[in-house]
Amino acid sequence: MTATAAPPLSRTRRTPSPTLLLSLLVVAFFLAAAIIPGVLATHDPLQFDLVAALQSPSLSHLAGTDEAGRDLYSRIIFGTRESLSIGLGATALSLAIALVLGVAAGLGGRVVDAIVSRSLDVLFAFPMLLVALLFVAAFGPSPATLVLAVGIGTAPGYARMIRGQVLAVCTSPYVEAAHAVGHSSWRVLRQHIVPNAVRPLVAVATLSIGQSIVWASGLSFLGLGVAPPSPEWGALLDAGRAYMTHAWWLEVLPGLAIVLLALAVTTIGRHLQQRLEGHRA
Amino acid sequence: MTAAAVSLGIALLAGCSGPQAAVGDERVEGGTIVYGHLQEPPCIFGGWVQQAYLSRQVLDSLVSLEDDGTVVPWLATDWTVSEDQRTWTFTLRDDVSFTDGTPLDAQAVSDNFEYWLDGGNGTVQAYLADYYESSRAVDATTLEVTLSAPYSPLLSVLSQGYFGIQSPTALARGNEANCEQPVGTGPFTVAAWKRGESVTFERNDDYNSAPANARHDGPAYVEGIEWRFLPDSTTRYGSLVSGETDVIYDVPSIEWATASEQFEVQRYITPGRPVALSFNTVEGPFVDERVRQAFAFASDRRAIVETVFRGAVPFEGNGSVSQGTSNYNAEVAAAYPYDPNRAAELLDAAGWSETDASGYRTKDGETLEIVIPYGAGSILTQEGSAVLQAIQQQVKDVGFKVTLIPVTQSELFGGAYSQPDERDIYVGYWTSPTAAILHINYRHHLPESPNGANSTFYNDDELLALIEGANGTTEPSEQERLYAEAQQLISDRAVAVGLYTQTTSLAVGPQLRDVWLEASQGEPVFHDAYFVQ
Amino acid sequence: MTGSAVDEQPLKRRVGNGVLPRVLGRLASAVLVLFAAASATFFAQALLPGDRATLLLNQRTGQTEARSDEELAPIRAEYGFDDPILVQYADYLGGLLSGRLGVSYQMHQPVEALIAEQIPATLLLTVTALAVAWVLTLVWTIATTRRSSRIDAIGSGVETVAAGLPPYWLGVILLVVFALGLGWFPVIGGSEAARLVLPALTLGIPLAGFMGQATRAAFERALEQPFVTSARMRGMSDLGVRVRHVLRHAALPGITLSGWALGSLISGAVIVETIFARPGIGRVLVSAVNSRDLPVVGGIVIVVALVYVVVNLLVDLAYSGVDPRLATE
Repeated sequence: MTATAAPPLSRTRRTPSPTLLLSLLVVAFFLAAAIIPGVLATHDPLQFDLVAALQSPSLSHLAGTDEAGRDLYSRIIFGTRESLSIGLGATALSLAIALVLGVAAGLGGRVVDAIVSRSLDVLFAFPMLLVALLFVAAFGPSPATLVLAVGIGTAPGYARMIRGQVLAVCTSPYVEAAHAVGHSSWRVLRQHIVPNAVRPLVAVATLSIGQSIVWASGLSFLGLGVAPPSPEWGALLDAGRAYMTHAWWLEVLPGLAIVLLALAVTTIGRHLQQRLEGHRA
Repeated sequence: MTAAAVSLGIALLAGCSGPQAAVGDERVEGGTIVYGHLQEPPCIFGGWVQQAYLSRQVLDSLVSLEDDGTVVPWLATDWTVSEDQRTWTFTLRDDVSFTDGTPLDAQAVSDNFEYWLDGGNGTVQAYLADYYESSRAVDATTLEVTLSAPYSPLLSVLSQGYFGIQSPTALARGNEANCEQPVGTGPFTVAAWKRGESVTFERNDDYNSAPANARHDGPAYVEGIEWRFLPDSTTRYGSLVSGETDVIYDVPSIEWATASEQFEVQRYITPGRPVALSFNTVEGPFVDERVRQAFAFASDRRAIVETVFRGAVPFEGNGSVSQGTSNYNAEVAAAYPYDPNRAAELLDAAGWSETDASGYRTKDGETLEIVIPYGAGSILTQEGSAVLQAIQQQVKDVGFKVTLIPVTQSELFGGAYSQPDERDIYVGYWTSPTAAILHINYRHHLPESPNGANSTFYNDDELLALIEGANGTTEPSEQERLYAEAQQLISDRAVAVGLYTQTTSLAVGPQLRDVWLEASQGEPVFHDAYFVQ
Repeated sequence: MTGSAVDEQPLKRRVGNGVLPRVLGRLASAVLVLFAAASATFFAQALLPGDRATLLLNQRTGQTEARSDEELAPIRAEYGFDDPILVQYADYLGGLLSGRLGVSYQMHQPVEALIAEQIPATLLLTVTALAVAWVLTLVWTIATTRRSSRIDAIGSGVETVAAGLPPYWLGVILLVVFALGLGWFPVIGGSEAARLVLPALTLGIPLAGFMGQATRAAFERALEQPFVTSARMRGMSDLGVRVRHVLRHAALPGITLSGWALGSLISGAVIVETIFARPGIGRVLVSAVNSRDLPVVGGIVIVVALVYVVVNLLVDLAYSGVDPRLATE
């Protein structure tokens, strides 16, 4: 997925692989958890049960309980909505910023390009951690802050990619042909440039969802994210760390949820990428 | 990484108790203590307790505090107070020098008082600004401190690390040097500070000024201390188990039981104000005393604390003074047991008798909402946050809608949520060796003389008279009675109710002996410590 | 912490530019980057909600309360917080221009000294992590790309998992299993080799996943090139072809990613620094932002921006070295 040329595909599988099916299943499960957590959960995620603190996974508590006796499985299920929203929100924000900047730079001529490119340089040079710290300092720790911080922090990378893609598409024979036959610039932009520049982004977006969740949970880990009692996954990981040596499930299982979701979304993204590029080829 | 592999790691961890060869009781000369501490302050000397931990290693104070609250000599061998309680005369030792060669004399100590109150130490100002008038050297070993009003807790206040005496020559070097390397008469000197990693202390070979409650006089047994900053509790405890550190601060609650079996553990119940719920008495629903009482009755604070802390930290029901403080009123701690019916009656009586669809009480269409901002990860530990969440759950049954707002340390220090219209409950503690903390926390908060430390905004002349009376008397039984009445009044009117004591702990490896926690603030003392084999 | 896959080639658009204009252009943009980073830092720090003087005073006493103007006046005067914001900005820029980063509000130390003290540990960690990532990536790519569909699938599957691992989670698990459980490594991080292993793996494994994904795609493409066929026809062994011919071409995206990874090292390092109790610039940055210690935050941002600029110049050079075609472009 380089900016200038799409890799020719080695093998395009026409039958869905078992990995893909499994990934779809995982994503479907987490989507369900985000939409109807009450159906999938076995307990109230906030309900304390002081006598049942720190129980290991069992049939009554599928993923064990935390230090206050709350059911971890139900907390992970109820945390899905927030984590997934952060992942989707940050990705959407990031790509929206990137699209505007990237298309402007790619089509706006030398001056606009220079301005946007230098601004991107500045953003790249600004540690993302600092962006996040400043946002938290300004708006306090909350899911919205995480979305802003991760979305803005990851935007420059995508913006550069889109810019490269736009430049490549602009000079491609079919765009030149479209101009030659007298299509208006707007129509060329709408019908040819944006769709072709955006196509690789579909795959990138799915990859980014997973990464945004990982990023956001990293900020939660530093105490900059969503605060307890919210069962957002990063907050669960942060809370579980202290109990790692006595209650491994509190740290390992929420982490597995993140990895599993990121993996499944990425696999689907790969597949989509292959399909889209297969079409174009 | 699979779950199976992790379980394997845990199983191995449970099976081994670290590389602890059997140690005997034979004392080994020298050695360097590796100590794992939690937080790293920006400077070694200052008004934050994290700074007192460090400065206690290099600075001696005028007096020292025994566990039972008695004050014993340190740099001052003797002291008297005038009839009117306003002039204190200290006799200093005449054979002590700072580690930069400057002799310790009355003028040096007087210079320190001036330095603290001139902005050198904000915590000293909080204690003494209202009382201190002047100090002067009568002769080389006689210091006279003049107060504007009687202040009987002066001696125990002076025993804290904030009041460590520094070399006036060194103070003149300016902020940069004093921040990194304060110079005192203490058992160690600061050799190096690698920020983010450690402070290295070296032994002061000429040390001759141990406090009267030390276990020996003369230089420390060990050659130095490597004071490592290990903020992550798993890492910190793990380093003790693996033998990389000899002693650690703040044993994680989850490890408390195991640590008690494998190591020598010491627990310090911080005196002063415990971690308490301080109600906003001037705005919002808690203006009504009955609503405050209802909130206190509405949750089983004791059971919550005992479960969440797994026995590592005791429950404290007294909301103004903790059980580690002299003149503590134990009866107050038993007030407001868990009694949801009582809470409901009080709320009904206060007019919060309707309930909305979610089960929250309302009055004139307004929901009974309680806003609690709290310093997540700074003022309150992870367990402390869990205690608040449990309370939030429990009081919901009675009809309180509690909103918890986690606040970052930076916001808190920046003064966020410090105004009456921003919060209904303040959660926090204040370390102090004396019940005179009441004066800091309950001195009136007035427009012309604001008192930001009055976190309940409670201005009560009757209460202040009791506290000032106690501060002003030297008659112990009278003082105890007045302080006890003040605590009783705070409890009766439900101005503040307690949660748990701010508790710190040490775990010491078997190779090290005689580390102790001093009584005023729980600073670890390494001067008497030695290695055995 | 690794962010999104940044997988674009450095700009090689304006063909025909001479070397000198290009270097000058680079320098100008570097200065611009530094200036903008410093300005953004200043305004962000100065305009954040909350009173800076209150923050300083409260932090010095460990309290969290409202302060009166009387208490705050000396602090405001000392640091010029009373001046109009533009005057403060001019003072700040003036200081920077004369080569001074200032003195920390909290630590009373010159910022240059603080950074000089902290940056070696961070650089050591990230360079080691990058080296670990490269070794893992190269070995894994050469070993598993285009072997059989199954090995290929396993190869890319492992890369995907590695790239998706939250670094702090990985760090905690590595710590608990290998340091606390098995006792193979010390618990406390440091600069000795044994103390560097777990922190470097924590940062290096996810990075290797990213670089592996990029490298694999390039590797596949390179394997289809005519020179591979001709090398095979000359009788070169499979491993020889992979190492001597294909790798050279497949390494390009990895090199780009390396520049990006080193540039964003601060963000990732802070987590590792926290878990393994290592010193480093990330932890200093977090505490400086929390205490609104403008000189320290500004100094770190400028140094990081500088590292970013220099590293990206190096990446450009490395590109030309690895793929001579680009140098003549």
